[in-house]
Amino acid sequence: MKVKTYMSGGGILPPGFIDRVRQIVGDEHFSQQESDLISYSLDYWLYGVFLSQKGDLPALPSAVISPASAAQIQAIVRCAGEYRVPITPFGGGSGVLGGAIPLNGSVVLNLQGMSRFLDLDELSLVAEFEAGIMGANLELELNHRGYSAGNVPQSFFCSTLGGWISTRAAGQFSTKYGKIEDMVLGMEVVLPDGNLLNIKPVPRRSVGPSLKDLFLGGEGTLGIVTRATISVHPLPGLTVKQSFILPSIEKAVDVVRQILRAEARPAVVRIFDEAESERYFPGIGRKVVTIFISEGETEYTTLDARVIRRISRESGGKSSGEEPVDIWLQKRFDIGLGPVLMQYGGIVDTIEVSALFKDAAKLYRDTVAAMKAVEGALEVSGHYSHFYREGACLYITFAGIPKDPLRYYQDTWDAAMKATLQNNGSISHHHGVGFWRIQYLEQELGASGVRLLKSIKSALDPEGILNRGKLIDGGR
Amino acid sequence: MAEDKKETEKIARCAMCADMCKYSCPTYLATGRETLSPQKMARLIVYDEKGFLEDEKDFLDLMFRSAMCGACRKHCIYDDYDLRKFIHRARAKAFAKGVIPEDVRKRVDTFRKFGNPNGERELVDKGTGDTGYFISCSSYKDKDLLKATEKMLSKSGFTIRQFGGDDICCGAPLYYAGDVEGFKQASLKMKAEIEGRHLHSIIIDCPTCVRMMTETYRQAGIGLDVEIMHTVQFIESLLKQGRLGLRKKHASVTFHDPCILSYDLGLAGMPRDIITALGFNLKEPVYSGEHTHCCGGAYGAKIGDHRLKDAVTPMRLNELRQTGADIYVTACPTCKSVLSEINMKYITELVVEKIVAKR
Repeated sequence: MKVKTYMSGGGILPPGFIDRVRQIVGDEHFSQQESDLISYSLDYWLYGVFLSQKGDLPALPSAVISPASAAQIQAIVRCAGEYRVPITPFGGGSGVLGGAIPLNGSVVLNLQGMSRFLDLDELSLVAEFEAGIMGANLELELNHRGYSAGNVPQSFFCSTLGGWISTRAAGQFSTKYGKIEDMVLGMEVVLPDGNLLNIKPVPRRSVGPSLKDLFLGGEGTLGIVTRATISVHPLPGLTVKQSFILPSIEKAVDVVRQILRAEARPAVVRIFDEAESERYFPGIGRKVVTIFISEGETEYTTLDARVIRRISRESGGKSSGEEPVDIWLQKRFDIGLGPVLMQYGGIVDTIEVSALFKDAAKLYRDTVAAMKAVEGALEVSGHYSHFYREGACLYITFAGIPKDPLRYYQDTWDAAMKATLQNNGSISHHHGVGFWRIQYLEQELGASGVRLLKSIKSALDPEGILNRGKLIDGGR
Repeated sequence: MAEDKKETEKIARCAMCADMCKYSCPTYLATGRETLSPQKMARLIVYDEKGFLEDEKDFLDLMFRSAMCGACRKHCIYDDYDLRKFIHRARAKAFAKGVIPEDVRKRVDTFRKFGNPNGERELVDKGTGDTGYFISCSSYKDKDLLKATEKMLSKSGFTIRQFGGDDICCGAPLYYAGDVEGFKQASLKMKAEIEGRHLHSIIIDCPTCVRMMTETYRQAGIGLDVEIMHTVQFIESLLKQGRLGLRKKHASVTFHDPCILSYDLGLAGMPRDIITALGFNLKEPVYSGEHTHCCGGAYGAKIGDHRLKDAVTPMRLNELRQTGADIYVTACPTCKSVLSEINMKYITELVVEKIVAKR
């Protein structure tokens, strides 16, 4: 093949494995065609996307297998175990840490064919889907029936339910509706030994540690999620949009802290730093803008919006009306600048971390300063989103036009992770680990934490069949 | 040269996007195959142009698996970009190399022999006036639709010249086959057919014909000095003139949005206005309007590979069946034919009995 790989090439599969898998899924659903191998070689790990312009790909799978059912996945996983062929599960391929890159000559298990809406229980407010459904289509199915899942990540149009579960994803409306771990009540998982685990949907249980939490953030290393039951909400009766200009990041973070302490639960809260405000709202310019969307049942929403307004004003916030919210709603999926910069040699990426309120503002200052100090940096900007009563997620976007792209990329990540850890933050809020963040894992979890994770992996998947080189073991 | 560079930059951007439109792509959804998603198609096109691909036949074959429906353009994060242009360019390359799929080859051969994709057929040329009704190739095969249209035109009271059949075709099958020269000749012939009849406006049932004779002809440098109107626009004008009898009906209707009608012509609202004005209860499928899915219309030659149609059509039928409507209606004769399993009707057939005849 003329494309070049820089992490691992495709492997040679045992003929017996190929024959068996073809029998399981049918010839049409087993591919070693060049076009398929290239298409499943990379997810949305942005440094990889940058290199892909020159035909450089991180790794090629040795085959792409597209099952149609959990039973087929069980049979494939058993067969892979027998022949010791590693498997990389592939959902929407929108992960930004390389979690779906087929390292070590693995086969790709393409889950996009399993994408059906299965059931809506309006009484219990839960809905069941196959894990390969795209986020936007999951929401279209629910909206059509008068409901919403309330999970709208920026990858909404290209990520799957299974991907959300596997990375512990969070959406833009998370402050009210929660993150994916708050939404999933039950799931069906194919385990590394090929057995099927059914976690029935109930509001809560007390029967030992929560098994579903092994797969919420498991990144396909501990099992393959095939279907899930999630909570849903009636479409909101009222939506109130508000925005305020506050004098500083510190002040804005404190205002949101007070609002959440007062039990208000806006669906969307975002604090944009001066650089992001200028990009989003040129009419306002370099100021700290905070936007809120309250939505839901009319009376509660009216009250929610009133509490937000009162606290923001009492804290010196100047209302900037609905317009910034509308602008954000319009631009929130526009990732168009990244590819344009990459065409001109630019390196672009995002980093999301989290911290308690006591550290949140300093985390922003230190992280942005450290990333800006890296040679080749062009722009570093940030916003807070995904708020809790206790703290928030800080989301940083960086771009540089460096002489040495890899050096710049590595140094910028190192700077961000170091500043985060020094400010008692977590190295990831919702993008996960993939392969790229493994290098920081021990600093986050400690040696005991990593050992525990490795023990869990070894107990469930002793041969390391599932998503080898991601989350737990090394792969760089 | 500068234009070429600009175009190259556009597809290179698409090849590095996160595939933000793929949730809407019917061929990707029906097959669950990442390779058919718009961004992956773009990456492969870029790789082919840069010489990074080894298996050119695999690549060129893949280019005939797009529905060319325009969902990706509709939902693109970039303005002024249409992936279909680049897929068409790749098809032209395949055509020049003689490596087009068998289905497409047969259709082109038929076209070359008879001047249309259907085969031998009678010329239709009747009526007078400067308003024309062009019988598209897919309408020509549909006797029920032709009968309803005849009645609608007659009751409308307008003098309308109907023409079609024989070798009169917009050239879409050649365009989608990548036969650039053949398409140019077909479009010049179509232009001559229109000009020879001194028409000022033309009503057409087929959204693909409408798109071809407007946007695609223009891009090919062929200008038509005539107003092209889709049938729903004509029916809407009757509605506005109070020419439709608006009686309350209890039957429920599901409208299947033809992809080109919704994505390219932007007419998704019009058929709904007509159906609800007639008193029918409109039952929307989950995927409708700007989220519609292509029917898999291989008869329209957009999808060159019947295996893909075999995946897309059942998906769309299933989506439509879920509404449980009494009547299924569309505004594309190809969609009507492809989705015939659910007794699909063309919108003219629904409204024809409601037209108040002009005295």
